[in-house]
Amino acid sequence: MPRWGMVIDLDRCTACQACTVACKEENNQPVAGRERSRSGRDIFWQQVLATVEGDYPRARVRFLPRPCQHCDAPPCVQVCPVGATTKREDGLVAQDSLRCIGCRYCMVACPYGVRAFNWKAPAFETTQYLNPDVPVRPVGVVEKCTFCIHRIEKATQRAKAEGRALRDGEVQTACMQTCTGGAIVFGDLDDPNSRVGRLARDRRAFRLLEELATHPRVTYLAEG
Amino acid sequence: MNRADVMRLEREHPDLLPLIRTGGLYYLILAGLLAVVGYGLYAYGQQWREGLEVTGMNTPVYWGLYIVNFVYFVGLSAGGILVAALAHAAGVEKFKPIGRIAELGAISCLILAAIFIMLDLGRPERWFHLIFYARFASPLAWDFVIVGVYLAIAMALGYFSTRADLVRCMALLPSRRGLYRFLTLGYTDTSPAAVERDRRVLRALAIASIPAAVMLHSVTAWILGLLKARPGWHSALLAPLFIVSASVSGLAMVIVALVVSRRFLGVRVKDEAIQDLGRILVFTIPVLGYFLFAELLTVVYAGEQASMAVFQEMMFGKYAPVFWFNVLLGLLLPLLLLWRPRRWVAVAFSIPLFIAASLVAQQFRLAIPNPLVGIFPYALGVFLPSWVEYTLIALLAVVLPFLLLTTSWLRTTDGIGIAAALVVLGVLAERTNIVLPPLLKTWLPYPQGSYVPTSTEVVLVLATYAVGALAFIVLAKVFPLVELERE
Repeated sequence: MPRWGMVIDLDRCTACQACTVACKEENNQPVAGRERSRSGRDIFWQQVLATVEGDYPRARVRFLPRPCQHCDAPPCVQVCPVGATTKREDGLVAQDSLRCIGCRYCMVACPYGVRAFNWKAPAFETTQYLNPDVPVRPVGVVEKCTFCIHRIEKATQRAKAEGRALRDGEVQTACMQTCTGGAIVFGDLDDPNSRVGRLARDRRAFRLLEELATHPRVTYLAEG
Repeated sequence: MNRADVMRLEREHPDLLPLIRTGGLYYLILAGLLAVVGYGLYAYGQQWREGLEVTGMNTPVYWGLYIVNFVYFVGLSAGGILVAALAHAAGVEKFKPIGRIAELGAISCLILAAIFIMLDLGRPERWFHLIFYARFASPLAWDFVIVGVYLAIAMALGYFSTRADLVRCMALLPSRRGLYRFLTLGYTDTSPAAVERDRRVLRALAIASIPAAVMLHSVTAWILGLLKARPGWHSALLAPLFIVSASVSGLAMVIVALVVSRRFLGVRVKDEAIQDLGRILVFTIPVLGYFLFAELLTVVYAGEQASMAVFQEMMFGKYAPVFWFNVLLGLLLPLLLLWRPRRWVAVAFSIPLFIAASLVAQQFRLAIPNPLVGIFPYALGVFLPSWVEYTLIALLAVVLPFLLLTTSWLRTTDGIGIAAALVVLGVLAERTNIVLPPLLKTWLPYPQGSYVPTSTEVVLVLATYAVGALAFIVLAKVFPLVELERE
C-alpha cells in the first residue's frame, strides 16, 4: 500500500494561491465572502499563510501553503470522542461528517490549524459546478483536507481494472495539478524512486513543528 | 392548609417557614428568572437554526464562553462534595445540616455544565454518539463518564441525606404528601435501624466521592492540559491547579448559596457553619495563588516563545483586565476580607504595596532607574498598561485599607458572603484566562485570532445561569434545604 505524502518546495512557490482556489473548487468548499471572512469564518483546506520577517526597509514576506499534514501520529484522531476522525488503513487522516458531533476538540488539538468548521449551513451561488465526487458537508461539523482522496480512489480503481500498479505521478491532488510554479508534488513516500520520495530526502527538507512528534507526511523544502 | 394550621406549623417548626411562606420579592425574582430563561430559549432557537454562526467563535478561537463556563461549573460542583465529605466522611457535625444545600449545588452545577457542553456542540442532536461511538482515548469521553459517575454519587448523597426529612415532611405538610412520597422513592422507613443504615451509606458515598472528585477535576483539566498543540495548556500543573481552583470556587459557591438562602429564602443556617467555611477558604486561597504563581514563573523563566506569547496576552494584552481582576479582586481582596488582619497589619501591608505601585507608575512614565527594574515582570521589558497601574494603586493604597479600617459589616456573615462572591467571580475570570488566550496564540505564527462573544452567546450563558438559580429557588420551596431540627 502506498504511503501517500506531499512535498512543497517553497523556492518554487509564488504565493499565487491558485492551490487554495483549486482546492475550494475541487472539494466543494463554500465561499465565506468578505464580511464573514473578516470574522474568521473561512473554510480553506489548502491555505497560503503569510508572515513578515524583519522590519522595514529590510522586511520580507514568507509564504507557506498549508494542507492537512496527515500526521502519522495525529493529535486530532487521539482526541476525537466519537471516532469521527480516523487514521485510515492507508494512513490518510479522514473526517466522517456523519459521525462528527461538532465539539471542535480536534481543531483545538491540531497544532497546524488545518481544520475548518461549518459555522453555518454551506451556501453556493449555484450547485451546477459542484464536484459530484465530493460530498457537501452540513452545518455544525468539522472538515479538512483529504489529500483528494476521491482522486486516489479513482486512480487506484483504474489501475486495478487495467491490472497494473499505480504509476508515479498518476495521482495528482487538485492543488498539485494547478500549482503554477510546480511547487507541490504528491505521491508515494515509500517508493524511493518516486519524485516525492526523492524530494523528501532533499537537503532542504523540513517538516512543520517536528518537535511535537506528530510525524507529518507533508515535507517542505526550505527557501534556498 | 388553613390559616390556623399554617400558624401552628410556623410556631412549632420555624425551619419549615421557607416552604410555607413566600413573599412578593420571591415571585418578582421568579418572574425575572423565567423571563431570562424564556429569552434564552428564543436565543437558542436562533442558534439551532443558524448554527454556531451566531456566536463569536471563529478560526482559530474554536472554543468560547460555552467551554469557559463548562469548565467553570464543573469546578464549582466541587464545593458540594467537599462539604459532604467533611460532614459524612470526616464526621464534622456542624457541616451536616448544610450538607444538603451543598449537594444540591453540586448537582445543579454539573447539570449546568452539561447544558454548556450541549450549547457548544455543532450538532447537539448527535449527543448520543458519545454513548454509542465513545472512543476512550479521548479525554472528552473520559469526562462524559466521570461526570456521570460523579452526578450519580452527588444525587445519592442528596437522596440519603434528605430522605428522613422528607418522611417527616409527609406528616407535617399533609397537602404535599404525594410529592414527598414520590421523592423518597417509596423508602419511608424511619426506624432507628433505617436511619443508622442511611448514615452508613452516606459515609460510604462520601468516601467514594473523594477520589471521584479528584478524577472529575483532573479529567476536566486534561481535556486541555494533554494537548501538546497548545503551549498555554500543556502543563503537568494544570490538573492539580484545577483541583485547587475547583475547591476554592466550590467552597465559595457553597458560602454564597448559604448566605443567599438565609437572607432571601429564610432558610435557617447557623452563623457558625458560614464562618467555618470562610476559615477554610482563607487557607485555600493562598494555595491557589501559589499554583498560579508557580505556573507563571516556570513559563516566564523559560521564556519559550509560544507560551510567552500566550502569557503576555493574558497578563498585559487583551486579557489583562480579566487577569488582574482575578488576582486582585478575586484572590487578594477576598483573602484580606476573610482573614480580617489586625488594623496595624492592614496598614503595614498597604505601605510597601503602595510604594511598589507608585514606583511602577513612575517607571512607566519617567523611565528613571528604580529598584524594581530588575524584578519580574519588568526584567522582561514588559510593562503594565497604565490604567492597570492606576487601578492597582487605587485599590491597594486607598480602597483596601479604607474598607478594612472603617467597615464593621465586613465582619458579619454577609461580609463573608461578599468575599466568597468575589472569589466565585474571580475563578470565572481565571477559567476565562485558562481557556481563551492559548487559543489566540498558536505554535505557528500565522493565524492570530481574536474573540468577542456575541449577544446571543451572552444571553445563552446568562439564561443557563438563570436555569440554575431557578432550580435552586424552586427546590427551596419544595423541600427543606437544611436538615430539620430533631426534637
